[in-house]
Formats: sequence, structure tokens, C-alpha cells
Amino acid sequence: MSLLGGGIVKGMAVTLRNFVGSYFNKERLVTNDYAWRPKEDAELPQSAGQYPKEEGEQLSDTTTVTNYSRNFPMLLHDGKEGDTPMDTVRCVACQICERECPPQCIYIEKMYDENGKYIKSPAKFDIDVSVCMSCQICVEVCPFDAIVMNSQFELSTPDRFGGLLLRRDDLLKSNDYYHQIHPGEAAARDQRMADEKAAKEAKKKAAAEAAKKKAAEKAKAEAEAKAKEAEAAQAEGAEEKSEPEGGDSKEATE
Amino acid sequence: MSWELIRDILITTVPLLVIFPSLFAFTTWIERKALARIQNRIGPNKTGVPCTRISLFGLGQPAADGIKMLFKEDIVPKGADRLFHLLAPIVALIPAMLVLCFLPLEFPWAKFVQAPVQAFLLDGAVIFFFAITGLNTLAVFMAGWASRNKYSLLGGMRAIAQMVSYEIPLVLSAVIVVMLVGSLNAADIAAAQKGYQWHLFTPWGLAAFVIFFIAALAETNRSPFDLPEAESELIAGYFTEYSGFKFALFFLGEYIAMFAISGLAVTLFLGAGEGPGVAAVPALSVAWFIAKIFALIGIMIWLRGTLPRLRVDQLMAFAWKFLLPLSILNILIAGFAWHVAKSGAGTGLKAVVWIASLITLYAVARGLNRISRPEAAPREYKYAE
Repeated sequence: MSLLGGGIVKGMAVTLRNFVGSYFNKERLVTNDYAWRPKEDAELPQSAGQYPKEEGEQLSDTTTVTNYSRNFPMLLHDGKEGDTPMDTVRCVACQICERECPPQCIYIEKMYDENGKYIKSPAKFDIDVSVCMSCQICVEVCPFDAIVMNSQFELSTPDRFGGLLLRRDDLLKSNDYYHQIHPGEAAARDQRMADEKAAKEAKKKAAAEAAKKKAAEKAKAEAEAKAKEAEAAQAEGAEEKSEPEGGDSKEATE
Repeated sequence: MSWELIRDILITTVPLLVIFPSLFAFTTWIERKALARIQNRIGPNKTGVPCTRISLFGLGQPAADGIKMLFKEDIVPKGADRLFHLLAPIVALIPAMLVLCFLPLEFPWAKFVQAPVQAFLLDGAVIFFFAITGLNTLAVFMAGWASRNKYSLLGGMRAIAQMVSYEIPLVLSAVIVVMLVGSLNAADIAAAQKGYQWHLFTPWGLAAFVIFFIAALAETNRSPFDLPEAESELIAGYFTEYSGFKFALFFLGEYIAMFAISGLAVTLFLGAGEGPGVAAVPALSVAWFIAKIFALIGIMIWLRGTLPRLRVDQLMAFAWKFLLPLSILNILIAGFAWHVAKSGAGTGLKAVVWIASLITLYAVARGLNRISRPEAAPREYKYAE
């Protein structure tokens, strides 16, 4: 026979234990310290501490943001920091991401030169991060590895409408920056790109070789055919030559 | 109205209007910190003095929240009843503020008051208290109805059912104290408990206090009786469609109502402003009163961090089948004990009545608990499993 209201008292004891315990046992504060993280993953920060540590410091400028953080997309270019990024931008304005985006927050315009020729580069590439739902579908569908997720989260702005519309030049980030924020993923992506490129090149080479071979074969075949023709012609010639003889012989036999 | 009367009214009311809203801000901070710690989080700890890096354990958070609320856009839904939508938060706040006057807070400056303007000296203070807190139900339903939102309406209807049901055990447990003291005057009730003769220290007083506290939780829509504003079911219940300053008024009204009802509990059962050192320094009385209110609010927060929300049928069964019979029985027991004490019985007989009433109350509470529980039949799952 349990005491009336004993369950409530028991529950209150549990909450009291948590209340008091959180002041003494830092490991309880799972949202503040990263005690739950595997210790062998040494590249992860083991403690976030107070934020921001220094005046004006932005967590997303540093690698203290976790490796697993994904916020909004960014556009990659292969140049160094400070180069004109549009020279090496990977995006070709194919608009696949624009079409796939579930909340339709991407807007792309293709770039044309003065003759009206499409020059495989985006003239406009806007992402409205107030609409973006960070689903990464654009990252999944991009065939050029041009769009990946950034971990920058300090995007608050006093401008309610324009401030959250990221333009092409805000979105452009170098591959080095990508390596800095998501080292594992960036390395894997580079490896895959290199493999694909190598495979493509190998294929191209093979194709070229095959073409060469084919050409050679064709040439050979042609040569053979020529030779045959020539032979045939010779044979014909011989026959022709021999004809009178035959005729002669015929005549002779007749 | 003479100049003296106006001065006296200002002296008695302005401190209440300054102290309790500031305590409200502090209470929201305490609540957020305590709930966070219960859930092994830290809670607000960044906001402090503006334009500096002094954080003061996040004490600036209530001020920041207040400024945010003031500057938020006020949205009234299309098709809502604009007049009642505006009136509801005001009607919610005013009665809550008004009943603060009935708490026997003996401020040190009260001795300058000449006219009898202090509401707690009124001969019907306790009745007035309940009459005015009853208006809160009106405000809640007004908000639910005027918002033209189904969630709001459901929240408002739940609130009416709940508040009407719990008003009865609340009043019946206060009746015990009124019976024992023989006065509805809050100052008399406080005076009757002088010398640590708090009503809490008697079996009937303890039972009445527990019933009163539970009913007070339901009256102020506090967890585990927060069905009218159940976030997981009704978004925010009756104030779903409120934003900005109107929402802030609702929030303020709710907390002021918490202070008021805790203050009444302190007056009725916990000896009002009595505590160590009051005899030497009379000003300490107010401090003790507010400390006791905060102790009760601390328990409310603690319960909020502990208990899950009741179902509607559990809520109703608890009020009508458990609290109501128990409080009626408690009245009988308290009356009997009062007569025994008045007949000049010896200490032995008093002790017997004491123990007998304790045992009776506990046994009846147990029995009622067993009977009144909603039938927990084994559940048949149709689609799950």
C-alpha cells in the first residue's frame, strides 16, 4: 500500500535531483558540453564554452562549429581566397537545383556574352534563406559539385526582406573554405571528383585509342581494300592481258 | 473626494502596481532557469546589462522579452471580433491586479494612511477576492471566442469547464479558515494566526491547504492543469491569436493571478506576514509575505517541471469526485474540532480529535482516490501493433 500522493513526491524527487545535479555535474549539461561525443574523434571540439569568446568573434568563421553542422547552401569555386571567383566557378547555370528545390528558394539566370552566346556560368544565383529549408536536395542533384552546404549560421539582419536574400557573390566560397569547415566531406568529394575525372579521361583515352585503332583498322582495311582492288585490278589487267592470249588460245583451240 | 483620500489611495495602490509587475519579470526568469536546470540545460545566461558584456546570470532576459513584446506587430485575425479581442487581455489583467489589494501586505508606509482605504480591511475581503478572480474565466472565454480560431475556442471552452469546476473546492477550502476565524476580513484572518498558530499546522488546515493549492493551480491554468493552453494540443489555447503587447498582457495577468492566489493561500494558511524578526522590525512582514508567495510559486514551477498534463476526464473526475467530497468532509471535521476546542476540552481530548481527524481525512482521501479514478480498462488497439 503506497502513500497517497507518493508518486508525485517521487517524481518531484527525480526533478530535484536533476535540478541540483546540473549545478555540480557538468556532464549532465549535454547541450553545453560535448561529453556525449566520442573521445576518439579528437578533431571535434570537446567543449563549446561561452559564445562569443571574443568581442566580434563569429563562430562560423572558425572551425569551432561542428563538422556535422549544415545550414544553407553555398557555391564553390576552385580559386584561392581573394581571387575573382567567377573565373573558376563550378556552377554552369544548368538550373537543375532550381527545378528540384522543394520550397523553390533558388533563382538562376544564365550568363550570355555580347553575341548572345551562352557561356556556362550563372549571371544571377539567388537563394532566399528565409525560405530555404536546408534539405540539401540541391547538393544531391548537382552534377558539377558546385553547390554544397555551408555552416554559417549568424545570418541575422535588420533588413527583413533583402537581408535574407543571398546573392551570387555572397554565396561564392572557395574550395579551401569548404575543406576548412567540412574536411571529411570535402576530401571525399575531391577524391570522387578526381576519380570521376580520371575515369573520364581514361575513357576518353580509351575512346581515342579505340578511335585511333579503328582509324588504323579502317586505314588498314582501306589499304587492304585498295591492295585487293589493286590486286583485283592487276588480276583483271592480267586477265585482260591474258584474254587475248585465251582468245588466242580459244581461237587457237577453235 | 478630498486630497487626503486621493493621497491615501495612491499610497496603498501604487506600491502594489510597481512591486508585483517587477516581481513578475523576475519570476519568468526564475521559471526559465529552474525549468532549464530540471531538464539539465542552463537557461538564459547571456542577456544582462545592455551595451556591456556583463551578463548577470541572464537577468536582463525579462527586460529584453518585454521590449520585444512591446515592439511586436499586433495582429488581429480577419473576421475576429476586434472589440472583444482587444478587451480580453484587459479583462484578464484588471481583476488579477485588483485582487492584490486584498492581500494583507502591511507596508511600513501604511501608517501615514488616515482614511480606511486598504481593501484587506474590508469586512468581505475574502468574498470579494473570489468574486473578482471569477472574472478571469470571462476574459479567457472572451479571448477564445473573439479570436475566430478553433484552437482558441477549444481552449476557452476547456478553461471555462476547468475554472468553474475548481472554483468550488477552492472556495470550500477557504471556507474552513473563515469558519475557524469567524471573519472574512483578511487582516483578522492574519491576526488570528499570530504566534505561529498557522492553519497549516492542523490536520483540517493542512488538508484544506493542499486542496486549495491544487485548485489554485487549476484556477491559474498552471501545469499539470494547463489544458486551456496545452501547447501540444491547442498551439497556445485561448491566446493562440494574440501577439505583441496583448499577449504580454495575458502573460502578465496570468502571473499576477498566480501571485494573488498564492498570496491568498499565504493569508489563509501560512500566517500572512508572520516570521522570525517581525516583532522587532515590522517592515519585515512584507518581506516574509513575499518570500512565502515565492515559496509557493517555486513549488508551482517545480510541479510544472515534474508532472505531465492531465486528460480532460481525469481533470473533471479529480475535481468532482475527489476534491469536492474531501473538502465537504473537511468542513465537517473542522466544525467538529472547532466545537471541541470551544467547549473548553482538555489537551487529551484535543489530541484525540486531532489524530482522529488526521486518520479520517487520510482514509477518506485514499478511498476517494480509489473510487474516483477513471476506469483504466485494458486498451484495445485496433491499428497499432
